Amino acid sequence: MKVVVVKPERCVGCLQCRFACSVAHSISGSPYAAPYEAVLSKPRIHIGLTKDKDAFPNKCRHCDPAPCEMACLPKAIFREPSSGMVLINPDRCINCGMCAMACPFGVVRYHVYSSNKTAAHKCDQCIARQKEGRVPACVEVCKVGALLFDDYNKVMDRATDEISSLVYLGIRSKEQEKGPYQSLTAYKHRLEELRRKQA
Amino acid sequence: MDAVIIGLSAAGLSCLDALLKFSPQVKVTAISEEKYSPYCRCMLTHYLGRIVREEQMIIKDISACPPNVNLLFGEKVETIDLLKKSLTLSSGKKISYDKLLIATGANAVKPDYYDEKKRTFTLRYMDDARKVEQHIKDSAVVLGGGFVGIKAAYGLLERNVKVEMIVSSPYPLSLVLDEKTARFVEKDMRDAGIVIRTQDDIAEINMKKESVAVSLKSGIEVYSDVVVVGKGVKPRVDVARKSGIKIDLGIMVNEFLETSAEGVYAAGDCCETMDVARKVPWINAIWPVAVEQGYFAALNILGANTPYAGSIGMNSLKTHSFHLISGGVLKEEEGVVLYEKHFPHLKQFRKLAVRDNVPVGMAFYNCPEDAGLYINLIKKGMPLNADPVKIVNGELSIADMLRPF
Repeated sequence: MKVVVVKPERCVGCLQCRFACSVAHSISGSPYAAPYEAVLSKPRIHIGLTKDKDAFPNKCRHCDPAPCEMACLPKAIFREPSSGMVLINPDRCINCGMCAMACPFGVVRYHVYSSNKTAAHKCDQCIARQKEGRVPACVEVCKVGALLFDDYNKVMDRATDEISSLVYLGIRSKEQEKGPYQSLTAYKHRLEELRRKQA
Repeated sequence: MDAVIIGLSAAGLSCLDALLKFSPQVKVTAISEEKYSPYCRCMLTHYLGRIVREEQMIIKDISACPPNVNLLFGEKVETIDLLKKSLTLSSGKKISYDKLLIATGANAVKPDYYDEKKRTFTLRYMDDARKVEQHIKDSAVVLGGGFVGIKAAYGLLERNVKVEMIVSSPYPLSLVLDEKTARFVEKDMRDAGIVIRTQDDIAEINMKKESVAVSLKSGIEVYSDVVVVGKGVKPRVDVARKSGIKIDLGIMVNEFLETSAEGVYAAGDCCETMDVARKVPWINAIWPVAVEQGYFAALNILGANTPYAGSIGMNSLKTHSFHLISGGVLKEEEGVVLYEKHFPHLKQFRKLAVRDNVPVGMAFYNCPEDAGLYINLIKKGMPLNADPVKIVNGELSIADMLRPF
């Protein structure tokens, strides 16, 4: 199953994904017409700022089992059996706010849909675009590779390899009496530095 | 394996779904007392407000069930024979089981002046809502300032009914919130047009011509079409008690949701699980917790021994003017430090209760974005890795909380 994988350390906070997401979910689907629609389409990916002013892209993880699906009273949140995506049926939603309470990642918002009904609003992994064989809109526009659309297991394998090499680097730098790095991001910065030196 | 589920509401349905998801061939019998298809009882207030129609409340399409699922509607369980592993229904039919789930839920508490002839109703079942619907014209008295009472009041307000609310405590939501937070809710409710009479109770209810005359203890008399009572719920444990299963306030279960009898599980409003915030066995009679327990019960019934970590009391109250999310215990106790911040221009309010660097309670008013994160921190009993002052100020995002160091 292909999912959108977020690499927060690469994000520069340009908010292109937010714009692309709104456009992709608007009625017209065009960046020129979308801002003039009667009900503005709202982005489903959120870029938060950490206390160090780093950008952090935050979107629905499509968890399994999904806490929002469990908390949903009218069963408006459901899992699409073919793709495994957690989707919202805005017609069934009663706007009770239970999903926002249950979501551990805080990605559910409440917005007006084009049918003029306020309902829960979250990422659907561009299911309409996927059916046409295209990648999700946010992944398409991401210039820095912070959003990837790939097989989950493959991404995890690659990340494991990367971490093992980073840990090795950490050990080596400790031998040189520099002390271990504080975080994974710090490890990665060190790795980048070394790469640049080699090149 | 024959699995039998008593009760087909939140916990029962979620257990049935999970059983079928993980083991599609399992033979399941589900017994429900209701005559209707499974519906969501939290939506009864929305039904009263005519926000949803009756068919929209149905949450399970029973015609789509596979043939190995046997659904019995309108049947009541009389006794459970724990030794022979069988149960007797009200129609005299006997059903044997290998694994049994008791999800009988809870009944609404009926005060002594409760009388359906005097148009006093609780709001727990579809029939109750229909009775209210039958009698209501343009005014109603709602008794009880809990979540059910407030939701009912807002639902009735939606169809232009004059609502008067009688709360016995000094402020609404007194069991969940502290006074300061509750005053915000109270103010919003008054602004919406609900008349709230606090520190008052019903003394007597009489019928006067076509309306109900409610005389209060303070001496005031209020006239209305119906009285809706929302005074909390009481677990239904009669069947379990008769059959000899250990009961405290609800059915006692271990961490695998198994009762004192082998092969008998309990989930939902009738069972007493660990409350993470209070650290004592407690009944959190809310829909999401019941669904979660049903899911874990299904895993344990199938033999995938999965411990249930415990629940917290949490609720979300969303109206067109505010959205309140609260969870855990938000009372001043020894060892509990309260952090709060009010943003008057944004109509926002954040409050967090922390014990030994572990959050135990929260109330977020009009900021649902990061509420779920802290609810889940309370639920898992995870220590905070950030300054609580910054949390209530809204300076931190989810990335700061998820950081591994």
